[in-house]
Amino acid sequence: MPPGADGAEPAGAAALVGRVAAPGDEVLLLPPGGRVAIGSSGLRPSGGAIVATKSGVVRRTRGGQLWIEGRQKRYIPAEGDCVVGVVVDRMSEHFTVDIAGPFKAVLPMLSFENATKRNRPAIYEGDAVFARVAQAHPDMDPVLTCVDGQGRASNYGHLKGGHTFECSCAWARALLEQPPPAVVAALGAEVPFEMAVGLNGRVWIDAPSAALAVRAAGALRAAEEELGPGGDAGAFVKRALAGGGAGG
Amino acid sequence: MGRREYVSDGLRLDGRRPKELRNMRAQIGVLQSADGSAMFQMGNTQVLASVFGPREVEQRSQLQHDRAIVKCEYAMAAFSTGERRRRGKTDRRSTELSLVIRNTLEQTIQLEEYARSQIDVYVQVLQADGGTRCACINAAMLALADAGIKLRDVIASCAAGYLQGTPLLDLNHEEDRAGGPDISVAYQPGLGKIVALQMDGRLPTEAFDECVQLAIEGCKAMAGVMRKELLRHTRALMAAGEDAGGGGGGGGGAALR
Repeated sequence: MPPGADGAEPAGAAALVGRVAAPGDEVLLLPPGGRVAIGSSGLRPSGGAIVATKSGVVRRTRGGQLWIEGRQKRYIPAEGDCVVGVVVDRMSEHFTVDIAGPFKAVLPMLSFENATKRNRPAIYEGDAVFARVAQAHPDMDPVLTCVDGQGRASNYGHLKGGHTFECSCAWARALLEQPPPAVVAALGAEVPFEMAVGLNGRVWIDAPSAALAVRAAGALRAAEEELGPGGDAGAFVKRALAGGGAGG
Repeated sequence: MGRREYVSDGLRLDGRRPKELRNMRAQIGVLQSADGSAMFQMGNTQVLASVFGPREVEQRSQLQHDRAIVKCEYAMAAFSTGERRRRGKTDRRSTELSLVIRNTLEQTIQLEEYARSQIDVYVQVLQADGGTRCACINAAMLALADAGIKLRDVIASCAAGYLQGTPLLDLNHEEDRAGGPDISVAYQPGLGKIVALQMDGRLPTEAFDECVQLAIEGCKAMAGVMRKELLRHTRALMAAGEDAGGGGGGGGGAALR
């Protein structure tokens, strides 16, 4: 639909940052000079304008890149994303990891801190790993790594124990925001816990006991849909934890 | 059988004017397990579409290295028509419609963005009262948008017919059965392109042009409704996410499922 046709968008060249767009909507008319940076997600240049290809909210990174934040369920890997994956196969040189994307990811055995050909990580099928997407080329399977640029583990690696649950990619992104959502602080006041949030919509959580971890996971997952606008996060968490206890 | 009057006093059998669409209703995100889903209603025609993917291709031999493949399955519920009948998914009509829907969707999905993968689209007709192929395309398009699959533009589809010298928009089953020509059009309003056009029956050129133009206008109106519903759905979802995020601002009262 052309801009301004329904009166919702400004007919001028103003960007729609922070507004909702549907596929085919013109987000920004290209200025005659200068540069416009678009991120990897949801926008494409078409004719004299930048057009949305997904429905979602137009966002702008600090670097000035425009992108569209939708609430899709399926994860599409992008370079630099932190993900929680489950090892499905252990090969001689690499692990095959399910990251809930269109393809299985590859995690080389040597992409761990202090790993050598002799000293392989003790990770097996069914284990959860926290990793960073090192390569996300559309023509190849995504490649993960469990080390940072200096070769240090820096929180990546095998997630031992705990409980993993799935949520929407958007909720995972919200959990990673600074400051984190109120429900995280409220949960921390009730239960001491450790959490690894993957942008692929998987969250790993560990607490002093398995039962507590499961209940904490339930509370976090339920908060996405059930914690209403301006809701009392503290009361919500208490209720969710108690409810889990009564059921078990 | 006596001749029926399909248009009398400028009104059709169901009380519409010749260039009037039926009541439309769209619901997005109706299924929990699918990556994207939508229900689309046009009068008494009701269609449910669900999208899975992009995911790994099932059959290795069909894998395309530079683009995604789209698979589409069209099915009619046994209770969807006046006469109860169990229909296979492999009868000729279903196969043809699956193909039409698939070809139409392939024109709007940015397939090259999802190389080596497969996108599955399942369309189920729950109630059939004419215009099922158009309703299917509309429902599938909304489900694709819900799944977050990159699309060049929205697609809207609408049919037009020609009875008793009058071009009629969006035929229902009764008018469809009259045996006149019937033109289904799928249209991308942003790009101004006709993506699919099918006609059964014959029509003089002038009347054909008039009917196609009428169908395009119908598509535009439909696209407007679909786009509005998409925006509304997205806004509700985003508001819900932000509220749960503890920001608590606005308090716009996001109604959740």
